[in-house]
Amino acid sequence: MTYPDNAHSTGSSRNWQGLKVRHSSRSLITGIVFACAAANPFATSLAQPGGSDLDSLERGQQLLESGSYLAAVEALGSVRSDPWLQDATLGLARAHREVGQYERAERVLSIAIEESGGATLAAPIATRLAELYIETGRSAEALELLQELNDNSMPSVRALVRLGEVLALRGNPVAAREQFQQALGRYDAGSVYTSDEVAMVALAAWELGLFHDANALFDEAVRLDDQNLEALVLWGELFQQKFNDEDAQRNFNEALEVNRRYGPALRGLAEISAGERYLTRALDINPQDTMALTRFGALLIRNEQEAEGRRMLERALEINPELIPALATQAVLAVLQDDGQAFQQAEQQVTSFSPNNSEFYTLVAEQLGNRYRFTEAVSLARQALDNDPRNWHAHTVLGGNLIRLGEEEEGRQHLELAFENDPFNVLTSNMLQVFDVMDEYATLETEHFRVRMSQHDATVLWPLMSTMLEDSWDRLVDKYGFEPEVPVTIQVFERTEDFAVRSVGLPDIGPLVGICFGKVITLISPDTLSANWQEILWHELVHVWTLQMTDNRMPRWLSEGISTWEEGQGQPEWGRRQGLDLVRAYEQGQLLPVGDLDAGFLGANSNADLSFAYFESYMVVDYIVERFGFETLRELILAYQDEHDENRIFSSVFDQDLEAFDADFQQWVTGRVESINVYVHMEDSPDEGTGHGHGVRENSSAVLAELYNNEALRDYMQSRVEEQPRDFQAHLQLGIVLFREQQYEQALEHLQQAQSILPTYSGYPSPSLVMAQVYEAMGNEEARLAQLRIMLENQQHDANTPLILANHALETNQLDQAKYYIDRALAVDPYQPEVQRRLADFASASDDSALAVQAFEVLMALEVSDPVGARTDLAAAYLANSQRDDAKNTVLRALEQAPSYERAQQILLQSVEATPTETMGDAQEETP
Amino acid sequence: MHSKASVFSVVLFLAAIALPAQAQNELQTSTNSPDSFSVSGSERFLQTADTGKFALIITGAAASPEIRQRFRGWTSQLDEILQRDYDYSADHVRILLDDGDNVGGLGARVAGASTADAIEEHLRDWQSDMTAGDLLSVFMIGHGAATFGDAKFNNVGPDMTGDELALWLEPYQEQDIVLFNMTNAGFEFARALSAPGRIVISATRSSAERFDPIFPRYLLAGLEGRQADLDRNEQVSILELFNFASSQVAAWYDEQGRLPTEHAVLDDTGDGLFSLNPGIEESDGLLAEVAYLNILTPDPDKQSPQAPAMLAEVQALERQVILLRNQKANYLEAEYWRQMEDLLIALARTTEAYHDLP
Repeated sequence: MTYPDNAHSTGSSRNWQGLKVRHSSRSLITGIVFACAAANPFATSLAQPGGSDLDSLERGQQLLESGSYLAAVEALGSVRSDPWLQDATLGLARAHREVGQYERAERVLSIAIEESGGATLAAPIATRLAELYIETGRSAEALELLQELNDNSMPSVRALVRLGEVLALRGNPVAAREQFQQALGRYDAGSVYTSDEVAMVALAAWELGLFHDANALFDEAVRLDDQNLEALVLWGELFQQKFNDEDAQRNFNEALEVNRRYGPALRGLAEISAGERYLTRALDINPQDTMALTRFGALLIRNEQEAEGRRMLERALEINPELIPALATQAVLAVLQDDGQAFQQAEQQVTSFSPNNSEFYTLVAEQLGNRYRFTEAVSLARQALDNDPRNWHAHTVLGGNLIRLGEEEEGRQHLELAFENDPFNVLTSNMLQVFDVMDEYATLETEHFRVRMSQHDATVLWPLMSTMLEDSWDRLVDKYGFEPEVPVTIQVFERTEDFAVRSVGLPDIGPLVGICFGKVITLISPDTLSANWQEILWHELVHVWTLQMTDNRMPRWLSEGISTWEEGQGQPEWGRRQGLDLVRAYEQGQLLPVGDLDAGFLGANSNADLSFAYFESYMVVDYIVERFGFETLRELILAYQDEHDENRIFSSVFDQDLEAFDADFQQWVTGRVESINVYVHMEDSPDEGTGHGHGVRENSSAVLAELYNNEALRDYMQSRVEEQPRDFQAHLQLGIVLFREQQYEQALEHLQQAQSILPTYSGYPSPSLVMAQVYEAMGNEEARLAQLRIMLENQQHDANTPLILANHALETNQLDQAKYYIDRALAVDPYQPEVQRRLADFASASDDSALAVQAFEVLMALEVSDPVGARTDLAAAYLANSQRDDAKNTVLRALEQAPSYERAQQILLQSVEATPTETMGDAQEETP
Repeated sequence: MHSKASVFSVVLFLAAIALPAQAQNELQTSTNSPDSFSVSGSERFLQTADTGKFALIITGAAASPEIRQRFRGWTSQLDEILQRDYDYSADHVRILLDDGDNVGGLGARVAGASTADAIEEHLRDWQSDMTAGDLLSVFMIGHGAATFGDAKFNNVGPDMTGDELALWLEPYQEQDIVLFNMTNAGFEFARALSAPGRIVISATRSSAERFDPIFPRYLLAGLEGRQADLDRNEQVSILELFNFASSQVAAWYDEQGRLPTEHAVLDDTGDGLFSLNPGIEESDGLLAEVAYLNILTPDPDKQSPQAPAMLAEVQALERQVILLRNQKANYLEAEYWRQMEDLLIALARTTEAYHDLP
């Protein structure tokens, strides 16, 4: 969402305006001086200005605007003549401030005030001094100074707005609003002219929650001076607060085009992408930048570098002990570590200067929600609203976290309230739009689950999912000895964007296909995936157990590790077979120490990295179960309930610290790698796939076929296998090349070798799949089917191969086999009419009339090209299943469209006649 | 033409005949008024064993030899399909082509030139061969022109206007008429032919659609082998044919990645307002749904003398189902389905009885 009259839609007009109103530096300064002369005693002693001072001032200001702060200090510091002194002083102070020399800046300003005879006589300078006080955590002094200005003179707009900010910070929101209103009043009265002042009025509007006005005013400020960096960045921050990163980024970049060393713009960009890079740059320029320190600290903490992160926060607070975001992040750490005392300390520190602060609690709640601590997040967001019921951001935070706890109704109410008062918040409006989508969804329930899904999914997916849910419940309760809080809510979204918004608030979520919040699971509808949806559901269900067993205190690596490990336990064909990746990672030294596994998730630079983070976490769990037993794994899970220190947990559960555990694990991995015994050529690309580890992963066969001709590829791969007989990829590629050259026997030889090296390989194409194609070309159907069966033992994301095998089984009347393969196809693509037709065929062959009804009900929803035929089929199934009324009603609807369709006419007559024909089975016993 | 009052009373009277008794009480003012189903006290497009079907194919002058070849091809194909797949006897299909002499391989099948005079003459003479309730289909293949509001068909010789053709068709009050104007820019021409109880199809929806349409190609495809029979009743209704052809035309443009330069439209309410998507949601299409091009002919292996009458009964019941369906909005749900069930059971049983005939 962008603002309705947003200047970004009229970028050219903004430039035009800028050209129109922007003066040369010299004329602008002259203008300021004349204006000052009328109102400011500084100007009373105007003498003939010394030309060299003016030059120095202009040069200094140019250097300041372009980010040459030290050179600016030198130039501005040389200004001595009175008429230029005030501007030089302001510039000098700003130059010191931009590089973190706060004391020097303060000294410059204080001396100027003193020499002028007091703050009132040097109001612009005093206002900047007050800003410096705020930045260095001296809000009381700032308040005193600004009030003095306010009491003794007509304060500038900047002074009014700063006074409002300080009053708000110090717990006097009513007086603060008065200042902001006054600033707006100045604008309404037509007494605000400059870009700087307009930007301040915009800030006042923002503080008053008048976001639309704030946007328009920032637009005006930038039109007046397109090089007003403060306005550009503040405007960007407004966009950023509303989750409109695109416009925010544009503003920050525009500011950096003017001054590539402008810290606030670098900080803003850091919030959007490449955080570490931009924050490092900002801190290189200003090592005392408290907001950069705070954000860097939070970033490090998120990336599992807590100690370094804490140090950053402490540095920030040393400079500015009143920095709410830093105190909030410290409070978050306290909550995560169950350190009530530390939390109280942070709370008290905030209260000492800012009683009833709402922002602090909002920020803590927001960060805790991001760390899956939804219950605490809700509680603290409520505290934020107790302190300020008009904190719309807090309403959004509360609403979002309530939803993740399954409290949809109350969550929606808060989001709606937030949206009514702050319609520009993209996150809020996104989440509400998903509610609108879900209003059309079906609500379905089993004993322990409450499921929301589209009507289409309700028809196609629900018959399969409902059974699986309760079966899974029984298995997991039995296995983990724990009953989660019910109902567990599952939301299945047809559109990936809705899934993403419901999960994280914004429409881009990367390769994720399912997310569990503890009591709530969100999923992408299998209709949009090419993956085994049952495995995905099972994976997420396991999270329900592990998260609820630990009150959401489990680290991500372990939660994902257990869910991924459980994939392999769910069904024989499920699970991830990444032996090749393991060997590659092992040989490249990419395996992470167990203690750093969470960083493997957070710091993943690619889907392949992320996929491997899952795999390694699974390996750790596999190791635990193999070495210590499942009961110890359960013990480990429960240990996270009360303890946050992973080292202590490992010592207690495994009787060895994390380091020793890791050493043993690495040794175990070495054994695993040796047992795989495959040669991995380092030039080969890893297999790639979408769906976050769920779904088919393709190897480089297609790419190689495009890059090289057959002959070159064959010679190259031949040389590789001669050098390394256990080079799996070389054997596979040779098999493919030889198959293409119709040298079937030789192809089979290499493919069989590849298969024997990595029998569980599940990439696409696999040796077994290529062999099946070779046998098909050779006309050996039996061998082809045998290879397809082997392929399916390791490949669960394929719906078409099971269909081939199901057809064969039906043709040869092997009903058990047919059912098995149809179920395999249904586990991937129940939306394919062909799969449902096979199910109907199986139902017919096995006289299972209820199953036939189920299949035909689904087919009726799927069949778009022949709806009359689909209805007639369903009616026939109803009739055979003794559902005579259903049969009649369904066939009437078919005949309504095609009254002369004789097959349907026969079904109608049978459904209403007393004695149906024998072919209608059980229907004979029904009375019409 | 009738006054509003007389049409309304006729409608109510016929509705009483066509629909089961309960429906008469439920019948409310409908947006899909069934006015067009009956004119002059007879039910339009009601097919009986005695209904005769006639086709007049008017193929006009061509702008180039290639186009002439194409027009002749379509003409020949249409003639062949009507006889082969729709049981028209050869003398019930009249072809007026070009100048009547330059007719390629069509030879003896051509009854004359497609000059305006010849068209008028044939229409004047042919009516005496027809009885009340017979169907005359007029297929117009050729170029059209629409400049300065004057829509014309490009005949050899003076061009014919829509008003002229409408005038020549006026005597056919007791016959059902379907007119397919398949020329470019032929919309205004077709509009002049709009009349109650008549079905008019135009391959173009405005005079601005000036390129030769491909609509005839897909109309023939829909007719051939009764491909357009979507409801599986082994008959092709005009609505099915229209929907088949217009959707195929749209698909063709889509496949070619081109913006469509033609949009076929249909009017069967006589109001001159044509529909792009006629059917149950539109005012047009309800008459076209019960109008069939084929001749009601029992299966060749049916020897029973009752077969033609019983087949006509089957079709009458089917017609009633369609009429009821088109009035669905005027019924309470339960009542609608009760009546529909009665009709469909009657239809199923009659069909069964027909099949049981020797």
